[in-house]
Amino acid sequence: MGALTLTVWDQEVRGGQNEQMKLLNAAFEKAYPNITIKRDSQSFDDLGKTLRLALSGKDAPDVVQANNARSSMGAFVKADQLLPLDDWAEAYGWADRYPESVLKYSEYSPDGKSFGTGSVYGLPQVGEVVGVFYSKKKLASLGISVPKDQAAFDSALAAAKSAGETPLLLGNIEKWPAIHMFGPVQGANVPSDQIEKLGFGNAGASWTTPENEAAAKRLSDWRTAGYFNDGVNGTDYDAAWQKLTKGEGVFLMGGSWLAADLQGAMGDDVGFFVPPTKEGDGAHVTGGTGLPFTVTKASKNPDLAAAYINFITNDEAMATLAKTGNLPIVNAEKYAPATGVLRDVYSAFGSVTKDGVLLPYLDYATPTMADTLGESLQGLLDGRLAPKEFTEALEADYADFTKAG
Amino acid sequence: MKVRRTERLLNYFVLIIFSLIVLAPIFTIVVGAFAPADAKAAQQGSFHPENFLTAWHEGRFGQYMTTSVLVAIVVVTLTVVLSLFSGYAFGTMTFRGREVLFYTFLLGIMIPAEAVVIPLFFDLRSLGLTDTIWAVALPQVAQSVAFGTYWMRTYFKGVSPSILDAARMDGATPQRILWSILVPMGRPAITTMVVLVFMWTWNEFLIPLVMSPTGAFRTAPLGLAFFQGQYTQGTALLAAGAVLVALPVVMLYFILQRHFIKGMLEGSIKE
Amino acid sequence: MLTSLKPASDPVRQTAARRPRGRRHGATPYHFILPAFLIYAAFLLYPLGRAVHLSLFEWDGLSLATFVGLDNYVSLLSDERLKGAFGHALVFVFFFAVLPVGIGLVLAAVLTRARVRGLPMFRTIVFLPQVIAMVVVAVAWRQIYAPDGVLNRTLRWAGLDSLTRAWLGDYTFSLPAVGLIGTWVTTGLVTVLLLAGMAKIPSEQFESARLDGAGAMREFFAIIVPAVRAEVTVALTLTIVVSLKTFDLVYVTTSGGPGSSTTVPSYEVYRRAFELGEVGSAAAVGVALTVLIFVISFLVNRIGDRISS
Repeated sequence: MGALTLTVWDQEVRGGQNEQMKLLNAAFEKAYPNITIKRDSQSFDDLGKTLRLALSGKDAPDVVQANNARSSMGAFVKADQLLPLDDWAEAYGWADRYPESVLKYSEYSPDGKSFGTGSVYGLPQVGEVVGVFYSKKKLASLGISVPKDQAAFDSALAAAKSAGETPLLLGNIEKWPAIHMFGPVQGANVPSDQIEKLGFGNAGASWTTPENEAAAKRLSDWRTAGYFNDGVNGTDYDAAWQKLTKGEGVFLMGGSWLAADLQGAMGDDVGFFVPPTKEGDGAHVTGGTGLPFTVTKASKNPDLAAAYINFITNDEAMATLAKTGNLPIVNAEKYAPATGVLRDVYSAFGSVTKDGVLLPYLDYATPTMADTLGESLQGLLDGRLAPKEFTEALEADYADFTKAG
Repeated sequence: MKVRRTERLLNYFVLIIFSLIVLAPIFTIVVGAFAPADAKAAQQGSFHPENFLTAWHEGRFGQYMTTSVLVAIVVVTLTVVLSLFSGYAFGTMTFRGREVLFYTFLLGIMIPAEAVVIPLFFDLRSLGLTDTIWAVALPQVAQSVAFGTYWMRTYFKGVSPSILDAARMDGATPQRILWSILVPMGRPAITTMVVLVFMWTWNEFLIPLVMSPTGAFRTAPLGLAFFQGQYTQGTALLAAGAVLVALPVVMLYFILQRHFIKGMLEGSIKE
Repeated sequence: MLTSLKPASDPVRQTAARRPRGRRHGATPYHFILPAFLIYAAFLLYPLGRAVHLSLFEWDGLSLATFVGLDNYVSLLSDERLKGAFGHALVFVFFFAVLPVGIGLVLAAVLTRARVRGLPMFRTIVFLPQVIAMVVVAVAWRQIYAPDGVLNRTLRWAGLDSLTRAWLGDYTFSLPAVGLIGTWVTTGLVTVLLLAGMAKIPSEQFESARLDGAGAMREFFAIIVPAVRAEVTVALTLTIVVSLKTFDLVYVTTSGGPGSSTTVPSYEVYRRAFELGEVGSAAAVGVALTVLIFVISFLVNRIGDRISS
């Protein structure tokens, strides 16, 4: 091969994520000196907005990180813009590297209709688990211990409130952050197989069940109890976690991807947990895989693109990921550091995958679900939508889609 | 005109209040640009001019500004030349269909980019032209030419016909009359047009957003919007980026403010 | 962009131009117009026609399109979200156009009645927002409106804690909050425009009115407002078009939120075409928006004409 350029679009913009990407790209270029990687990283929001346009052009990037959701990956598969990677998966032995429970998050039927089965279209680097971050000093000063189950979490929130603190931090101007707050709450209330169907947009479940309504009600009760920071819908996502680092709140519900940034700012003071429904059980929480890296149909060097994906997901890559504070999707326990919030994150991920259930992101479900769910949650958190209306809005979207099949 | 002293004082008060209302948000962002970028920087004092350098690198504003300059050069040059030609014809010559053609051009001033950007994208994509400077620049040339034709026509109409007649008597060709007599005379009108078209092009958002999907020709305002999502640590660098993006036009504005204001006023009022 | 429906026919210059000279120019004028027209037609007129064409299809931008006639337009009428978007655009018309003209009239009148020093500098300052990219404006105001932003900090400092809120995340206040950014941007332009118009009023008019004992109010309504009708028409047309086309402001400040309470037609065009892949429906929204702009500009100019004649 002569001198080649590989264009990669990723959304690894946060501290530790950005660092691992830089390291792995440099390592790849060192291993294959004739190859130059042209990297373009954008935020999750911006990538979501621009990817559809980019994939349709002639100069589409070779490798893109596409959200597993039906609205992104599903639509691109349907439009024949992504390459099924089955041949390379076999050649590189990806099925041995990744458990099926992980791979299925990147599988679609070639017509894009079924999600969770079919061809492999991408590989994720990291695992993700949504849980609760907190400041250890803050909890100690309030005399609250780390909640062991959902009920304890509720009483911890109440205790923080009566101590005059802001119990829960949320920045939801982007509309999607609240999805990560609703996920674990729903996981604690609704049977997991139901949530999986709702999340994958496969028929056979319903939003308008008493369980889903109870989950929505819990969120809305938190609002009426005044647990949130003021004006959640007008607060930036990034401003919310920065508040935790400044001691302006007690708990922050968010994804494991925030761990590196939080540790950078708070050091050993930050902790992480996932509250199970009952003490001793495994937790049922939103999580799964990071955005998978996929190969575009327009790529002039699919072999090279696949080799790149293979490179950034192999064992050394997992070690690099762990070193830079990310959660490697395979063998996380092996890399778990001795201390710090990352140890919490790794063990939470381990216990959830072992004893609990990792639930899909709910916006995967339908092409419009990200908007519907995001906007409905903003409504719920504003008190504009009652829990019942909230579930009805979601059911309308879900039922519309599954009916049209 | 006699006016009471209190009224004059009141006027100064009004002037100052409104100036403050206008300046306060600008002031906020400029001050924000010098604030510490993160917790570490905060320990080293509260004044951080190096933010601009950091933002310049992290937000890749060097690359985006270069694109912006390139696009602006293409749009402004083409617009000026084409508008000079068409304005010259509309302003100094009689011919069939002049009114209809002119109204057709005028209509273009009102067509929103939102309506044409979709077909433009899909048509240019099938021609393989998206992600080229032409896809970003030419739709803006079309918009600006609609205005430019109208603007230059107004100038050419104002030129005394005796000048034109004298030149024709001397046997000058229309081309020669345009370039060696009318253009030098019309420098103020042309400058104003250049300034306005440059500003519109620099500040345009939707067309470069859509027409350069892979971001190869991402202009400075787009770069800023993306920087907002990409940069997660606070607001200081974002503010610095915002200042960087606004600076070229604002500086030009202070140097050529008369042309800006005059252009905006006359362009709209010469009815 | 500057906008007005009428061609230039300045009475002062008409004598100088004395257009029809009886002499035809043959093909020369067409040669001069052709290059400009080609670009204009290829990149603006033709796409507009194509937009109308696309709006009659159901198309995801990727696979084959299906002809659906006027279905896209019919569903526009029943789409609550879209009706909301057009409603918000009309609210923006108030904030971008009506309010600035109201403020501008009073402001310019006050400044015209009593000449004061520093007017040129004032002009330069209030005009400034006009030259700053909307994205920069939006980034600045998003920070100002943030829960811990300057606005809330100022309110708290003034002891008005009860007024503080997350301006852009509030269902009631986000729309006016974004609208006021528009007011901030356009008021300067409108005021400068009206100042220029009022400067043309002969001072004898004021003198004689004052001799008749007219107060400031009567002077305002009897002399100033009628004299600047043309400028008001232009200012309204200009700012209304800006308000209906608002895209980057919403894209950067709220992405249409909270819920869909600040979404506008041009944001829906983008969202539908490039995020949801409903190209036909997006084109229909774009065409509807164009028609709305044409109609409103036409009406404003028509009413302006009616009043002046």
